[in-house]
Amino acid sequence: MAKHSIMVIDDEKIVGDMAKLSFEQDGYEVETFLNGESALERLKERRFEVVVTDLKMKGVDGLEVLRSIKKLYPGVKVIMITAFANLDVAIEALRDDVHDFFPKPVKIKELKASVKRALGEE
Amino acid sequence: MKIEHKIYLSNAVHIILIVLIGMFALQNLNEILTKFRFTVIAEGLNANFLEMRLAEKNYFLYGDNEALDNIRTRIDQTGETLLQVRPDIIRAVGAEKYTTLQNHLHAYTQLVDSISKASHRDSAVQQKLREAGQNLKTFSENITDLESDRIGAIIVGSKNILLYSFWAVVLFAFLFSNLIVRNIGQSLRKVVDLTRAISTGNYRKIEEKPSNDEIGAVISAINTMAEELQKREKELVQSKRLASIGVLVAGVAHELNNPLNNISMLAQTYAEVYDGLSKEERVSFMERVDEETERLRVIIHNLLDYAKPKEQHLARATTNQVIQKILALVQNMLDVSNIKVMLTLGEHLPDIYIDEHQIQQVLVNMATNAIQAMGKGGELRIVSRYLPDNDEIEIEIGDNGKGIAPEFLDHIFDPFFTTKEESGTGLGLWVSYGIIKNHQGNIRVASQVGAGTTFIITLPSCKKLKRCTDGEA
Repeated sequence: MAKHSIMVIDDEKIVGDMAKLSFEQDGYEVETFLNGESALERLKERRFEVVVTDLKMKGVDGLEVLRSIKKLYPGVKVIMITAFANLDVAIEALRDDVHDFFPKPVKIKELKASVKRALGEE
Repeated sequence: MKIEHKIYLSNAVHIILIVLIGMFALQNLNEILTKFRFTVIAEGLNANFLEMRLAEKNYFLYGDNEALDNIRTRIDQTGETLLQVRPDIIRAVGAEKYTTLQNHLHAYTQLVDSISKASHRDSAVQQKLREAGQNLKTFSENITDLESDRIGAIIVGSKNILLYSFWAVVLFAFLFSNLIVRNIGQSLRKVVDLTRAISTGNYRKIEEKPSNDEIGAVISAINTMAEELQKREKELVQSKRLASIGVLVAGVAHELNNPLNNISMLAQTYAEVYDGLSKEERVSFMERVDEETERLRVIIHNLLDYAKPKEQHLARATTNQVIQKILALVQNMLDVSNIKVMLTLGEHLPDIYIDEHQIQQVLVNMATNAIQAMGKGGELRIVSRYLPDNDEIEIEIGDNGKGIAPEFLDHIFDPFFTTKEESGTGLGLWVSYGIIKNHQGNIRVASQVGAGTTFIITLPSCKKLKRCTDGEA
């Protein structure tokens, strides 16, 4: 069975590194990106099943990534994590069909459960 | 005394004066009338005497008994008239003169009585009679003349006094109203000054206790209003500061969340993959945790630093010199980006009283923002000028970069606000704002998207702060 592919986008390098270690332990394939532009570029080349992205990034931010993906790759599930968690943003993201929303500090176990659910819905 | 009362008093005094003058004039007129009536009577008497003397002459010329009777009749008439006017004569010239007149008449009467029969030829009798008659006439005429003179004197006297009092009243009215007008004018000017000061934000009160009249009431009211305004302003500043703190706290939370999340994820992952890690890898994990805590420490330290009330080291400084100094500091950045500098420095600017290090920090912040907004090859504009109306120095730092959208202009001094794509804490302008405010100055921004941005800083002159000599307390 092909491994499930996950993309992690966050301008904090540690987030990508830890997510990669953690998810690879569970048998996922993980690619990490430090900004929205490079991630969207990569998406043109390779299909990912789940994209985990930070909300607030310089340049193309998480919401833009979410909207682009929903427009271009509707089957891809997007999970949002953010240090900047307020209600308005959450509502906006939900309106744009985000799959899940986690404030930082993130519980990796919960993140993993959410990814599983996202994959299960395929 | 209330102004109302002052005016009533003035009116009362004027009325009393006029009434007094009127009464005086009236009294004089009455006196004149009385004396005039008397002269009419006196003239009547004199006419009577004339007739008497004529009859007398007649008798001596013609020995006419009828003439003698005529004389007697006249004498009787005179006697009656004298009795009638006795009170008038006594009032006019006194009892003594009346008695004398009466005596003269009596003497004359007796002489006439002694004439009879053939004495009309007696020249001695004639002579005596003539003399007595003459006395009577002269005396009576004297009395009349006396009264006429008196009337003349009274009229002249009245005329003069009326003239003087007229001018006196006019002068008094003029002086008094002048006094009141000046009084009111002064008070009103005080009120105007006070309200003007308040409108420029200078909430001083009028020190002296307000007078106990209408103007005093107005001043009291204005003082109260000034206190209220000052209170409201403090509240407004406070709530703005609280709002600012709210933004600050939100920003802090956000800043701290990232390192915290990193530590959290490091810890969670470490626990999960521990078995598979080499010693070096484990060490690496912990080192990264340590790095993140250091990051936290720095963020917190910086924030505490920003939150600390800035201790100022104030001294007199020359505006243009400060500007030249910061230009030297950013020269490198200017050269790298090929930016031209347009300096319009005012001449003979009064000195300012500042913590030069802090103000330099502000100007460098402005200049850096401008340079970053322009990219390559722009124009940095710096202007300094004196505002004599407020006794303040104004510094403009402007660029012709991309400008700031109007919806952001309101928030530009908020902590953590940044429009920059690259790094920046977003605290520079917030700190600058605080520094300028601590110098009793003001800072504002004007911007047009696509055209450029200008920051305008105003600072009070050292004279306005009464700090031109450092020794001033």
